[in-house]
Parts: sequence; C-alpha cells; structure tokens
Amino acid sequence: MRRHNLLNGLFIIFLGSGLLAQAEDDLRVFGYFQTGFQHVSSDVSKDENTFNLQQLNLFFQKNISTHWSAFVNFEILNNYSSSRHWGALNLEEAWVKYRYNKSFTLKLGLSVPTFNYLNEIKNRTPLLPYIIRPLIYETSFGEFLALEEFVPARAFAQVYGFWPIGGIKLDYALYLGNSPNINNNSEKGQTGVDTTATFLVGGRVGIRLADGQAGVSATYDRTNMFQDALGHQDLSILLEGRSPRDFEERPRFRLGVDLSYLWNKFYLESEYVSVVYDDGWDQLEADRRFYYFTLGYHFSDKLFLYGGYWETQEEYTIVEDITAGIFGDDIKFTNGEFYVQVPVAGLAYRLNDRITLKAQFARPRLKSNTSLFLINDTENFHSLAVSVFL
Amino acid sequence: MHRTIATILGSFLWLSFATGQVAVIANKSVPVDEVTSQQLLDFYTGDVKLWENKDPVIVTDLKPEGEVKALFYEFLGKSPSRMKSIWLKKMLSGEGDPPEALKSESEVLQKVSSTPGAIGFVSEANISDDVKVLTVIPRKD
Repeated sequence: MRRHNLLNGLFIIFLGSGLLAQAEDDLRVFGYFQTGFQHVSSDVSKDENTFNLQQLNLFFQKNISTHWSAFVNFEILNNYSSSRHWGALNLEEAWVKYRYNKSFTLKLGLSVPTFNYLNEIKNRTPLLPYIIRPLIYETSFGEFLALEEFVPARAFAQVYGFWPIGGIKLDYALYLGNSPNINNNSEKGQTGVDTTATFLVGGRVGIRLADGQAGVSATYDRTNMFQDALGHQDLSILLEGRSPRDFEERPRFRLGVDLSYLWNKFYLESEYVSVVYDDGWDQLEADRRFYYFTLGYHFSDKLFLYGGYWETQEEYTIVEDITAGIFGDDIKFTNGEFYVQVPVAGLAYRLNDRITLKAQFARPRLKSNTSLFLINDTENFHSLAVSVFL
Repeated sequence: MHRTIATILGSFLWLSFATGQVAVIANKSVPVDEVTSQQLLDFYTGDVKLWENKDPVIVTDLKPEGEVKALFYEFLGKSPSRMKSIWLKKMLSGEGDPPEALKSESEVLQKVSSTPGAIGFVSEANISDDVKVLTVIPRKD
C-alpha cells in the first residue's frame, strides 16, 4: 500500500515537473533505463530464461543560482510492480549543493558517498559497459546480497573538491551519515531513523592525471553484528558469558583502493575493498573483502570490448553445540570463508548518444572452504541488454 | 553553371579553413585575454565553472562534426566522444550540464558575443569584432 502511494506521488511529481519545466526552463527531468534478456544455465539446476527491466532511474535537477543546485534521484528495480510485490522503488538521492569553488563543494541531504571509483556511479547504466555490474555494485542483487556491508550507501553531508598541483588534480571528499542501525519497525517508533548516537564517517583522497585516477577510501561506523554482519539474531545465547548487547554497535572499518586508467584505446579499472569488524570476540569472524578488475579495449568510438574478474570473500563462523543442547564449555567454533568468483566478458556498442547495446557473459562460482558448509556451484549467465538515456 | 559556382565556392571555403586556424573566442566581459589548453579543458569538463571575477563560465560547443571541432578537442587532448562521456558522467552525477551544442559557427559567434561569460570556438576566418580572441589553435599539417 505504501509502495503504491509512493508511486502515485512519484507520478504526480513527474507530471508537475513537466509543467514547471515549461514555465521556468530550469528544472531538468531526465533519466535512463536498462532492459534485457538473460539465459542462465547450470549443472545442478534447470535452465532459466528471463526478460527483465533491470533498472529505471528518474532524475530531477535544478540550478537554483550560480552556487546552489538541487538533485533528486528515484530508482526503480527488477520489473517493479507494487501490486505483484516485484522489485523495489527507492529514493536514492535528494540533495542540495553549494559549490563555492573547485576546492569546496558542500552537499546536504541524502546522497551516495564517495567511495572508490564506482560507488557513486554504480547505478548510472549509460556510463557503464556492464549489464551485471561488479557484484557489490549490482543494486538489483540487493534483495539477496548484503551490498551495504561492503560499501557505504547513504551520506547526509559531504564536502568535496580538488586542488590542481601542476598537471595533477588532488581530489578529496569527506562525509557524514547515519550508522547502519536504522529502525524499520514502526511499532518501535519512527522508521528510517538511526537508533544510535553514532555516525558513519568516511572519505576519499585521490589523484587525477590525464585520463587516469587513483584513490584511497575509508569509512568508520558502528553496526549491530548479529543483525547486519552475521545475520544470526539468537547466536549470542550460545556464547557463554555474552549477551546480544555485547555485539551491538561494534566498530566497522572499510578500506578501499581504486585505480582507473585510459591509455590510447586500452582501459583498466580496478578496485579493492576490505571490511573489518571489531567484534570483540577472537573466535568470531565476519570480515569480508572484494576486488575486481576490468580490462577493456575501444575498437572504435562506438564499440568497447572488455574482460575481467570479480571476487568476494566473506569470513563466517559456524558455532556447534557438541553436547547437543547443553550450552557451556563444549561449544566448537569453525571458521571458514565463502567465495563468489566471477570471470566476466562483454561488449558495449553505442548505437547513438542515447542508446547503448550490451552483451555479457559471466560465470559465477560459489564455493566455501569448510566441510560444514559445503557449496561449490557454478552457473553461466548470458545477458543482452539495451541501456537508454532519456 | 550552378555546379561550377558551387565548386568554386566550395574550393574557396575549403581554402579559407585550410589556410586558417581555430580561434577560441569569448564574450568581451570575460576577465582574461588568453587561456591555456589546461584552462580550457577545466572549463569544458566543468571542473572550473567561474571566471576570476566570479561570473559563471558559459561553454558552447559546435554540433556538426568537422575539422574545426576535431582540432579544438585535439588541442584539449580529448576526442569528442571522450568529452561526451565526461559530460554524461557530470550530468548524471548532478555536477553540471553539457555545453550547449550550436548548429553553426555563426550561432556560436552570436551566442558568445551576446552572453556574458560565454566561451566557444570557430574558424579564425569567421571571427568578428564582437568577441574577444583568447587563443588561436594552429592547424597541423
């Protein structure tokens, strides 16, 4: 019901913006969508074919004055239908920006934090050659992957800019946001608000030189381990002398490194992300890592070919009560790692300034390195898509 | 007869560019008299949006692909398609708008001469006294 109302509201805003745009010529409405077809084959399950409206984004942008501008971004995912309970509709960004000069811009409101190269533009499909984006940036996977554990999704105040030093530009960004402990139960109070007194604090420093850039990013916040990192609400009762409160608001550090470079017709893009939890318990492991690289070649202004590799590594702990129900000293901890490894190849063909055709092959392999959690599956994803800039 | 005139006119126009160069022009209100390729790149990528006197920089582009446009972007060290992808990224990030792409050099002249803070590029042979020339890009032979 709430989704339905939100969609109606969006529709009214969209129509209204057209009228305003005619009168004022300053409010700009634009966006894009990516739609396609996917064939999935696997050794262990039956093949699947699906058409999919993967993503549609609508932007509203207004230059308020020389220094002030505002921006709103609605994102609609996975064949969104509120009546059928498909997909999701999200307000991704709604911010006002004050740009004093090249070295100082202040952004206030809901925004995507600067983290590595891809985080801010991960959902800008016309900019990217991918159909399925490098794992943690594939927002349409958000229903079943903990994407926001890897990278920050929301900030509410950002300061950024650059300083030119010779031919180099030194970029910086600093931001503040909520912790991940957001209330989603209306019986406990207002939803969408932070339930802690802590903040997300983060930033990036980087350099740009010609068509290359590199940077280091970091964030710090506090998260409820059992709700967010481990996903086992009642596990703490097994840990002698510990209560669930011991695992609330535990420090979480993210570190990211990014590099992208265009050299003649060759393109390299690569990132590394490490997430470390200070869980206060040596036997508990929940850290995670992600890296990817893409190597591409511009055959022409229109055709781009690429290949690459993505991998996530997630540590986990299996707690076994070997005395079968008597909690205490006989608890056994087994630590392991869960991997998703994806070799990928594809092409993007720019039909014109607004339409890009894409093809991609990805072969994700899911595996774990402990006998208690045995998994070793491989699937083949063949995808075709068209990305349209409106 | 018509064909002959057209051929002569075509040859004349070709010669006027072949012997000429590309001029970077600006509205007479801009507070500088010359620019470097790096400064131009900063203006055209939207990294720098204000002149020294805090007036906004209004950049213009030429819609038709051709030698003038190619020479200008070569001077900036970017291909027109690379510039398009930079502008698209800026636009989709809410960081700025692409330059207004005008249909002809006369439209660029008209826009630049009548808009405070405006900057653009045309063939040197087409410049008028209504605009300021910030630099001339030599043609490579």
